[in-house]
Amino acid sequence: MTQRILVWDLPTRIFHWTLVLSFAGVFLTCESERWCDFHVLFGYTVLGLIAFRLVWGFVGTRYARFAEFLHSPAYVIRYIARLLRGHAEHSVGHNPAGAVAILLLLLLGIASGVSGWAVYEEVSGDWLEELHEFTSNAMLAVVFVHIAGVLVTSYLHSENLIVAMITGRKRGAIHQTISKNYPLIAMFLLAALIGCWIWAWPDSRDESWLRGIGQELKWSFYFNQRPNEGATR
Amino acid sequence: MKRIYIALLISSVIVLPAWAEQPQDFITTFAAQAKEDNAAFSNFDASRGEQFFKSRHGGDWSCSTCHTENPTAMGKHTVTKKDIKPMAPAANPERFTNTAKVEKWFKRNCKDVLKRECTAQEKGDVLTYLLSLGR
Repeated sequence: MTQRILVWDLPTRIFHWTLVLSFAGVFLTCESERWCDFHVLFGYTVLGLIAFRLVWGFVGTRYARFAEFLHSPAYVIRYIARLLRGHAEHSVGHNPAGAVAILLLLLLGIASGVSGWAVYEEVSGDWLEELHEFTSNAMLAVVFVHIAGVLVTSYLHSENLIVAMITGRKRGAIHQTISKNYPLIAMFLLAALIGCWIWAWPDSRDESWLRGIGQELKWSFYFNQRPNEGATR
Repeated sequence: MKRIYIALLISSVIVLPAWAEQPQDFITTFAAQAKEDNAAFSNFDASRGEQFFKSRHGGDWSCSTCHTENPTAMGKHTVTKKDIKPMAPAANPERFTNTAKVEKWFKRNCKDVLKRECTAQEKGDVLTYLLSLGR
């Protein structure tokens, strides 16, 4: 008896969509020096989110755990072969190919974030810049593969996987459901993100409305004064 | 097969240092491009380059916003406040010795200052200005 069961807990979904936003942000701010401070902030957000996901991959609910979705290369290759012939079996959680994309995204995200930090802090020479560009572009490529995979699998199994990542619900047998949604942990993650963003909001004399709102929030939240009242900035 | 790899490896090690350019090489490249863009092009001009470097071109930034009015001195990124090494090759011999870097940074920074890419004429003028400094 299959029905719609809870598969993705709330922290996993919040992680997914905030990572999507941060990833979009980091790419939109990479071409201009004007947004350099936000590029760095988005980059740290990606790293922070991945750090959370690594922990959640060990202590989270069933389908969020690495042990549940990481398979041997041979297993993955056999699955992809079946996928290409159009009769891959339905997975309740990540399918074996999708799991590889997720692992790659996590690893490339770490490589890109750490190399970006190293470029910004001028730890070493030009090769770091090359490495940062390479890992970031590789991550972008995997993102496109991931989206393509989601569309193909959604079509093959007549199941909208994008909606599933919003509602957390997928097709499965009742005994396969996860029992806990962990909304408190999700709220904690979201609060930590918003708190970090306001605290780390870049100060600047640029008076654009977006930067201005953030600065107002930051200084009234954390320093209990208006941005321009402080003796030292 | 193994020999081919070794040969490739050795030849790449020999060829790599040959990729390092001199600032004068960029003058040559920019001049050729400028002539192609505009048949009336005659030569680059340091004072025109200086004016270009210090002008805001209708926006809020000039090159000198970050690189300062004195390109032989350290610059400061106006957003991140991080140090930027001098642009004039006399003060910083590493400048204009790598084609990929020169192209990348002209492209990025021109878009920030002018909202478009720079022409070969503009790039040549700026480099001529930078080369005229500190000598």
